[in-house]
Amino acid sequence: MATGPGPRLASAFRRVAGGFAVPLGSVVFAFAVGGLIVAITGGNPFAAYQGLMCGGLGIGCANGENSALQISTTIVFFTPLLMTGVAVALPFRAGLFNIGAEGQLLAGSVACTVIGIKFSGLPAPILLPMVLLGGTLAGAIWAGVPGVLKATIGAHEVVTTIMLNYVAQWLVRYLIVGGPLQASNGFSASSPIGAGARLPLFLPNDPGLIIFGLPAGVYRVHTGLLIGLAALVIFAILLWRTSLGYEIRAVGQSQRAARYGGINVARTIIVTMLIAGAFSGLAGAIQIAGVDHNLTDKYFNDTTGFDAIAVALLGLGSAVGILFASILFGALHAGGSVMQADAGISSSLVQILQALILFSIAANFLRVLRLPAFGRRPSAPAPTAPAAALMTEAAKAPTGETT
Amino acid sequence: MGHSRLKFLGVAGVALMLLAACGSSSGGGTTKTFKIGLVTDIGGLNDKSFNHLADVGLEKAKTDFKIQGDVVESKSGDDYVPNLTNFASKNYDLVIGVGFLMQTAVGTVSGQFPNVHFAIIDGAGTDANFNDLKHTNVQSLFFKEQDAGAMVGALAGLLEKQGKSKKPAHVISAVGGISIPPVNHYIAGYKWAAQMEDPGIKVLVGYSNNFTDPAKCKNVAVNQISSKSDILFQVAGGCGIGVLQAAGQAGVYSIGVDADQKDSDSSVIASALKKVDVATYTAIKNVVNGQFQGGALTFSIANDGAGYAIDNFSVPADIQTTLDDLKAKIKAGTLTPPADIPA
Amino acid sequence: MSFLADIGHVLLTADLWRAALEAAALLVLPALGGVISERSGVVNIAMEGMMLTGAFFAVVADLALHNPWLAALVGIVAGGLMALIHAVVSIRFRADQIVSGIAINIFAAGLTLFLVQRIYGLQDVGHVGQSELLPYINIPLLDQIPFLGRVLFQQNVVVYAALVLLVLVQLTLFRTRLGLRIRSVGEHPQAADTAGINVYAIRYWAVITSGLLSGLAGAFLAIGISNTFVPNMTDGRGYIALAAVIFGKWTPTGAFIACLIFGLGQAIYDANSIIHVSQYLLSMLPYILTLIVLAGVVGRSIPPAADGLPYAPENE
Repeated sequence: MATGPGPRLASAFRRVAGGFAVPLGSVVFAFAVGGLIVAITGGNPFAAYQGLMCGGLGIGCANGENSALQISTTIVFFTPLLMTGVAVALPFRAGLFNIGAEGQLLAGSVACTVIGIKFSGLPAPILLPMVLLGGTLAGAIWAGVPGVLKATIGAHEVVTTIMLNYVAQWLVRYLIVGGPLQASNGFSASSPIGAGARLPLFLPNDPGLIIFGLPAGVYRVHTGLLIGLAALVIFAILLWRTSLGYEIRAVGQSQRAARYGGINVARTIIVTMLIAGAFSGLAGAIQIAGVDHNLTDKYFNDTTGFDAIAVALLGLGSAVGILFASILFGALHAGGSVMQADAGISSSLVQILQALILFSIAANFLRVLRLPAFGRRPSAPAPTAPAAALMTEAAKAPTGETT
Repeated sequence: MGHSRLKFLGVAGVALMLLAACGSSSGGGTTKTFKIGLVTDIGGLNDKSFNHLADVGLEKAKTDFKIQGDVVESKSGDDYVPNLTNFASKNYDLVIGVGFLMQTAVGTVSGQFPNVHFAIIDGAGTDANFNDLKHTNVQSLFFKEQDAGAMVGALAGLLEKQGKSKKPAHVISAVGGISIPPVNHYIAGYKWAAQMEDPGIKVLVGYSNNFTDPAKCKNVAVNQISSKSDILFQVAGGCGIGVLQAAGQAGVYSIGVDADQKDSDSSVIASALKKVDVATYTAIKNVVNGQFQGGALTFSIANDGAGYAIDNFSVPADIQTTLDDLKAKIKAGTLTPPADIPA
Repeated sequence: MSFLADIGHVLLTADLWRAALEAAALLVLPALGGVISERSGVVNIAMEGMMLTGAFFAVVADLALHNPWLAALVGIVAGGLMALIHAVVSIRFRADQIVSGIAINIFAAGLTLFLVQRIYGLQDVGHVGQSELLPYINIPLLDQIPFLGRVLFQQNVVVYAALVLLVLVQLTLFRTRLGLRIRSVGEHPQAADTAGINVYAIRYWAVITSGLLSGLAGAFLAIGISNTFVPNMTDGRGYIALAAVIFGKWTPTGAFIACLIFGLGQAIYDANSIIHVSQYLLSMLPYILTLIVLAGVVGRSIPPAADGLPYAPENE
């Protein structure tokens, strides 16, 4: 076989394209089945998907929607998913299932709001880092508690993080519905945070400025996006280029082997959860600082942390994967509204599509259809199997006892 | 061969889009078709409550006028601004937001699109501090739920006083969804009127913290029934149906909310009405007739925007007289139900 | 601190404990399903979705057939079918079971809402008539026992069924040969296979059973406790059941204890009309209580050894 640069480039390209083939194929599969469901129940799948494309990616808008606006909405939606996706993916690598990303996010939002209101007079260069840092720390603590419980007495993180999710939810409501944070008009929301605590938008909110045909203020993309992207980079570097990352991955592979290798498993577990919570708390702070500017009842029903689980799984736990999965989920979220407005299809179709994509990725249905799957032998179990790691090795005692 | 598959996908994608574009052709009519956009709150269209009613108003307007009515359900609070902006950016003739949780969103978007008309149910277009921005392109549709609550509260009080309820013990109750103003207004009127008619009455108030899950409201109601309440007022939308059900199973009376809920359970003796459908319809009608006016419009018993209906029950004549009398006094302004729950 | 007195008063009422048991029974059904499934080696976090599916189809069936028993059966089967998807994806396709579970939950939520809007449109889903609900049955004589009679013997028929199933599953898993087979498949599938046990069949049936049980819970919620379907009405109970499974160390009785804690917390919260403390703090009660018990008493939860690992014998 020739070994010149040409064939090597070709095979590298094939590997990259192959890496996309399975997820891309899964998306196509999901859309096909989804279209079938719509058609069977009397809807128009083409109109539905046109609405979805338009709302999510600004493509193919035929009802007067503004493409730039749609894209900006999608970006605002997927920004927090970048960080919460990491918050779930990182513990997966250590064999931990962080269902608590939502609670950690809420903790971050609360901290950001409290600091942003209490110190509202401070100028931006001081207040903004304060609120973001505060949110990050709050999230870290919210995840640290389950981490410590897991590392010391082996309390399963699925239980502890689910419990703390609920506690965080009720804390939000306690604070803003007739509670200490409620704004004076009794509207189940907090006062707005100080002007210095707001993340700058990419486009100034100048009423006179018209961009792409609409006033600049409608494009709500904020600099939190950059923070989110930076978070992905930090995640990738942390996991693959630091010794901590190595320890995390080692613990995820086998706690026993890691311990024999001299790794302090308990410490690794705690640190992993702290970092995960930090990412999620940061996402919560960014939502307040960049989008809402106050704590509202919407946070009680927020599902970002749960979407993050799907995002982390869909993204196969890698930074690039999380980026694309976040964009997909953000686009579906934004597209769902336009789909309903234009085609009358309930945005529940979006959830169906999300589920189908997940199924198809997980099961790699493409294999069954005899489409060549690059670099994967059909009978091997899935290469990333969080389930396997979580429920067996990781649940074993950090201090070395086995079942 | 990866190339050919990608190419196929690309062609398929373009074909799909072309088909879709051809599918949605714009008809050319001579008279203007008004485009109305309705953005619901997270309860969704099946909330058996005010989102549903707003849609009912829209549907009625569709039959009466030449309008194109599009509805978007907000899945979360994140969707308010994008959903409102979508309609506004397409220059819809009227963009309606449902629910006071959307106040700041309406305030923001109406400021960005001064030439688009907005209406909001249960609130105003506000700034981040919840102060009314008083944009001229926003019509605020307020309701005096306390009027409606007062009427049913009076009925309940009278029944207790005369011993005509099922298990009279001078205890009645209300189950609220969340402790927010629209809910508390209802309860305020209810308690005030009941205490007025039956001074020895005890009014229990509980919250389910949920507007959608009937089981949660049922449990709170069952508790209240155990504490001897025999008239239960539900103020919890779709969740509140569970209150009605609990009352039915315990053989006591219940009171519905927002819409006439006489068919929801046989225990329903009355419903406190909030005519969101009328308000929505009115807002649309004004736009169609070119009579849109910014500012606040209040729907209360005085203009029949709030009221009550008797269901599954025949009211004794003397009680009906008292109720009519109360209604007249509230209309005239001599008696005013409070907006906040009295002690 | 008068709210403590309020809580004290409420704790002395039989009604509270009756409500607590009812809530616990609702949770223990999917929890039993989770235990069975995971004991056989298949991670199952899809109880929420299976329960919601059961709830929806039970209501649709009851509105059409006017018979709660048939409707409950429909709900049970619907849950089982949803579980079948999880089983096929996890066992046949050896997919990651967590992904599959999450996907089921999202799928159920989207599908039920989609169908509600497609079938019922603007109309209400409608509510089931009083006589067509799964009935509450007072057991004669026993229900007259002071206090306990109200708590134990004035319950819904499904609550009695749940308690029976609890005992049944506990005994089956730990005292019968079938149970031994199930557990061996979950601990050492290779050895079980060599001993002639059909690993795949056991796992399929375990997962389907978890769906049947969750579907029953959904039917109970929708046409026993409630009388209609509301989108997302399960409201996270499936995840609480999951927590109960782990808290209970993958045993039915352990899971039931967790369900009781939640049921009690729920029941105390429902009395917020007469307990004078922030209802939001009251709501946190079951979760904090669980954390405390978990940390102080339960400690480590170790799952079946092969839980989550798709079975892929070398010589296949």
